[in-house]
Amino acid sequence: MSALLRAELLKLRSTRTALGMGIAAALVTILPAVLLIAFLPKSTIGGDQAPGILTAGSSLVTYILLVFGILGMTGEYRHGTITYTYLATPRRGRVIVVKLVVYALVGCVAMLLALLLANLIGVIGLPMRGVSYPAPDGAALADYARQIVTAGLITAFGVALGALFRAQVVTVAGTLIWALMIEPLIVVFKPHIGAWLPFNVFSQVISLRIGDTGSAAEGLSRPEAFLVSIGYIAAVSVLAVFISMRRDVT
Amino acid sequence: MAVIEAEHLSKRFGKKVLAVDDVSFSIEPATITGFLGPNGAGKTTTLRMLVDLVRPSGGTIRILGSRYRDLARPTTRVGALLDASGFHPGRSGANALRVVATSAGISYDRVDAALEMVELEGAARRAVKGYSTGMKQRLALAAALLGDPEVLLLDEPANGLDPEGVRWLRTFLRARAAEGRTVLISSHVLAEVEQTVDDILIISRGKLLAHGPINELTRTAQPVVRARAPQAEKLEGLLVAKGAAVNRLGDALAIRGPGSAEVGEIAHAGGLVLHELLTEQPSLEDLFLQIAGTRKES
Repeated sequence: MSALLRAELLKLRSTRTALGMGIAAALVTILPAVLLIAFLPKSTIGGDQAPGILTAGSSLVTYILLVFGILGMTGEYRHGTITYTYLATPRRGRVIVVKLVVYALVGCVAMLLALLLANLIGVIGLPMRGVSYPAPDGAALADYARQIVTAGLITAFGVALGALFRAQVVTVAGTLIWALMIEPLIVVFKPHIGAWLPFNVFSQVISLRIGDTGSAAEGLSRPEAFLVSIGYIAAVSVLAVFISMRRDVT
Repeated sequence: MAVIEAEHLSKRFGKKVLAVDDVSFSIEPATITGFLGPNGAGKTTTLRMLVDLVRPSGGTIRILGSRYRDLARPTTRVGALLDASGFHPGRSGANALRVVATSAGISYDRVDAALEMVELEGAARRAVKGYSTGMKQRLALAAALLGDPEVLLLDEPANGLDPEGVRWLRTFLRARAAEGRTVLISSHVLAEVEQTVDDILIISRGKLLAHGPINELTRTAQPVVRARAPQAEKLEGLLVAKGAAVNRLGDALAIRGPGSAEVGEIAHAGGLVLHELLTEQPSLEDLFLQIAGTRKES
């Protein structure tokens, strides 16, 4: 297993995909934070709302990590490297499990770095507007911790979806259309169903809100959302392993 | 003990395509076996079934005495060249091999050795997207050699190689066999492997048509009569009418069935002039056409 872990990390280091995703994540972290600090009134950017303003881009980071997870698995099929991967490790379930673990860790680290970057912008930018940087309190740190865990879960979910569907463009496009268009519509029109849909469940790990609509009463509690999100990842992964073991690599 | 054993192997894709149909064979150690057949014959599917990339619909496979997936560190026992395009285009050649080596628990020293073996050490740091087809083929061969395996499965390894590369490959394979390794090499270019292999398997439309030492099979094959005639088309008609199998290219005819004396007599009876008439021992290509032709007729 450790050889597989090292191989996955080498795969990440030896192409520009991870670097590109990292740059994209940095940009969506920096730009909203800078723009909000620059243009919002001083009364808004100071005080309790500062942590939320600084990390405004973090939801975009999670979508980037979702795509990163999908690319991590579908890229193996797209470039044909899956042949060598399965030749070295014919037990295909191990390959998928190791990828889930590695990408979950990478997702956590990426979100941690994004949050650190956002706060660095706050440390530098807020005093330039004459507002003091409020060090994150316990509640903010707990919120950051949940964002980090959710980022790991979503990245792993991307891997599981990639393992299940294989086709890169279809999986990325289909997942984003579902997450950004279909699921929000279901949340609006059928909030009691929407509360249980995967991306809304992931967002509920961070917050009790279900999207920007609906009430907290219709959502899941954080522990429930966490368990349901783990359930989604486990279900898709088990299905992906089951299908992968029967799938021909031609 | 046979290194590779396939028994009643079959593979069906969907309901309509029977890619491999009840194929049985065994490969002895320290031999080079040519796995021959036209495109779409079932060679690649069979090779992929040997290494568990494709699940057989029926039959069994044993490689080094067990299933591929049950071999400990399989890439150190069996090296496979199945897909020369199976590398990430943005990864360097050396890193592509390091990824394979790392997941297989093979030391990086072997990466350098394999690159040197395929004479690709100068391009090791370049991204694979900048490689020519021949270079990718060599890189794939290096990947197969990484684990210093005792069995090599090579699917069309000469694809994309220039004549010099093909000669290099021939020498290379001979050297591996001399070391006691077993090589199974598939190809649809028969002349390419004729000088390399000890044994051959001939497959067509998923069916195994022949299996044995190349010398024995070509010895038992019918000789080919070659003739040149100004009125080759007319001669072809006369020969076919007598039941001969004829391939004609311009004024040259390759004739299977009648001997040279009979061909001469048929030409004479038809009032046709011959510019050349000779009997040749059949090449591998002739043997293949005979076997495949017989099969088609039956």
